[in-house]
Amino acid sequence: MTAPAQASAHGAREARGAWALSVALAVLAVIAAGASLVIGRTSGGPTFGFGGPDLASIVLTEIRLPRTLLALLVGGTLGLCGAALQGLLRNPLAEPGLLGASSGAAFGAVLVFYFGLAGADSLMLPAGAVAGSLVALAALYGLAGRRGDFLTIVLAGIAINAFAAALTSLALNFAPSPYAALEILFWMLGSLADRSLAHVALALPLMVPGWLLVIAAARGLDALTLGEDTAASLGLDPRRTQWLVIGGTALAVGGAVAVTGVVGFVGLVVPHLLRGRVGQHPSRLLLPSFLGGAVLTAVADIAIRLMPPGPELKLGVVTALLGAPFFLHLIVRARPAAGT
Amino acid sequence: MSAEAPTTLAARDVGVSYGSRVALQPVTVELVRGELVALVGPNGAGKTSLIKALAGLLPHSGTVAWSGAALDSLAPRTRARLIAYLPQAPSLHWPMNTRDLVGLGRLPHRAFGAAPSDDDRAATTWALEQTETTAFAERSVDRLSSGERARVLLARALAVRAPVLLVDEPIAALDPYHQLQVMATLRAYAGDGALVVAVLHDLSLVARFCTRVLLLDGGAVVDDDKPERVLNARALERHYRVEPLVTTHEGEPLILPWRRLTPR
Repeated sequence: MTAPAQASAHGAREARGAWALSVALAVLAVIAAGASLVIGRTSGGPTFGFGGPDLASIVLTEIRLPRTLLALLVGGTLGLCGAALQGLLRNPLAEPGLLGASSGAAFGAVLVFYFGLAGADSLMLPAGAVAGSLVALAALYGLAGRRGDFLTIVLAGIAINAFAAALTSLALNFAPSPYAALEILFWMLGSLADRSLAHVALALPLMVPGWLLVIAAARGLDALTLGEDTAASLGLDPRRTQWLVIGGTALAVGGAVAVTGVVGFVGLVVPHLLRGRVGQHPSRLLLPSFLGGAVLTAVADIAIRLMPPGPELKLGVVTALLGAPFFLHLIVRARPAAGT
Repeated sequence: MSAEAPTTLAARDVGVSYGSRVALQPVTVELVRGELVALVGPNGAGKTSLIKALAGLLPHSGTVAWSGAALDSLAPRTRARLIAYLPQAPSLHWPMNTRDLVGLGRLPHRAFGAAPSDDDRAATTWALEQTETTAFAERSVDRLSSGERARVLLARALAVRAPVLLVDEPIAALDPYHQLQVMATLRAYAGDGALVVAVLHDLSLVARFCTRVLLLDGGAVVDDDKPERVLNARALERHYRVEPLVTTHEGEPLILPWRRLTPR
């Protein structure tokens, strides 16, 4: 008699565990945000506080608040979309960059640099990136088609990535001046420095609908655990799930890349670290991954400011340096399992 | 499974083609609640095409209707509550624990974002008991043997508690004890007023447990009757190309494929 009772208590405990994890991550995000507002950096190295009472409000609202908000929003977007894509493709190695949305956005931004439009209006760059990610999505849609299976989508994503990278190289090749090439390169590295609340205002209207689309796919992602036929038999059409996740990711990640450049691997690492703690449930992974991505990105951005004096490290460089070995580790660990 | 619910799943001229290859010639058949229907026939006979068409998972000609209402006209969620389906080789992409996985069968009964209701929990527990998988309910499914996993996936389909249960080779991976156990479970589920359709290869179990047999060969339904009438030596020789041993044991039919016949 007691065994089934204990058993269902265990199931409920796991569901509660996902909520407890979200609350803990939300608390961490608040702490990280607080630290991010207090810790700054000048050419001389890290600074603490606000540089005097007369400067406090300017430093806070003009510099650190946008930077902190963007760290949370971009990190959350990457974590959420990474979790959703991994659920959709049923592959723990999936990442927002996989779709080509990131590289498409990067190329769009590079074009803006190339034609020297970046100086004309600070919002031209983000606008170019959004256009690029939308074009990449349209190309993906065209290549994979409405009925495209997951493998076709992955391969189309790889092709779009390669093509966008080639076009970006082409733009660098023909860059009008060494200065323009350098500007392009630096932007592509991904950074949260020198952003304003206008950037937040540009990214948010893209991110919020993107998040909502992805979250609407939650039940469909759970059903896909059992394969496409079973998901369809459960009334959750895999095609609908697919386009919710892909459309949402393109919007949200396009918005993120638009304002920060390419920040890689957050969407890979965060869902992977959290999956075991939510009982492998794709839908229960979404909220913790959003919060975890926000925490990780904010902490990484704080760590950059704590580095010794010298040129500031770019956020995208840090996440790639830490993320790429992690990715390799996952591949090596997945290999024997794939062989059986 | 309410009392006023309609009682037949009617396929009219249901045919399936993959490109120019015809997998299933148009079939018209009416399946009734309370029946345990076996789909039998050699490999490539069209059994899986038929069961997937009945489940509405395959583009097909003709119509499938649940007592008058075409399945195409139903909302996906309504159809999902009406028809549960277990594919032949189900995928299992994330190593959830067994109870969570079986609970996925309750998705059509739950609103977006809603926590599992008492009904959901009761149905999940019931499905685990029916398949004798309660013992590893809290174990991760990647720690189970393939036979145990097959029973867990059957439990997932049972947990929907749909009036129509379509299962494709549910006992192929099971040991003899659990083959008998699952057949008894399917029979009992049909006895409670559900329509159960199963693709099966063990003809003795078909003969003992099923109430009706559809024999398919070459993409056509070649016979549709009670098991003892369909599964005679002549039909098995003709369609399976085996010479069977057909006898009885304790008054129950016993059918053993004994010798291959020369290829057609």
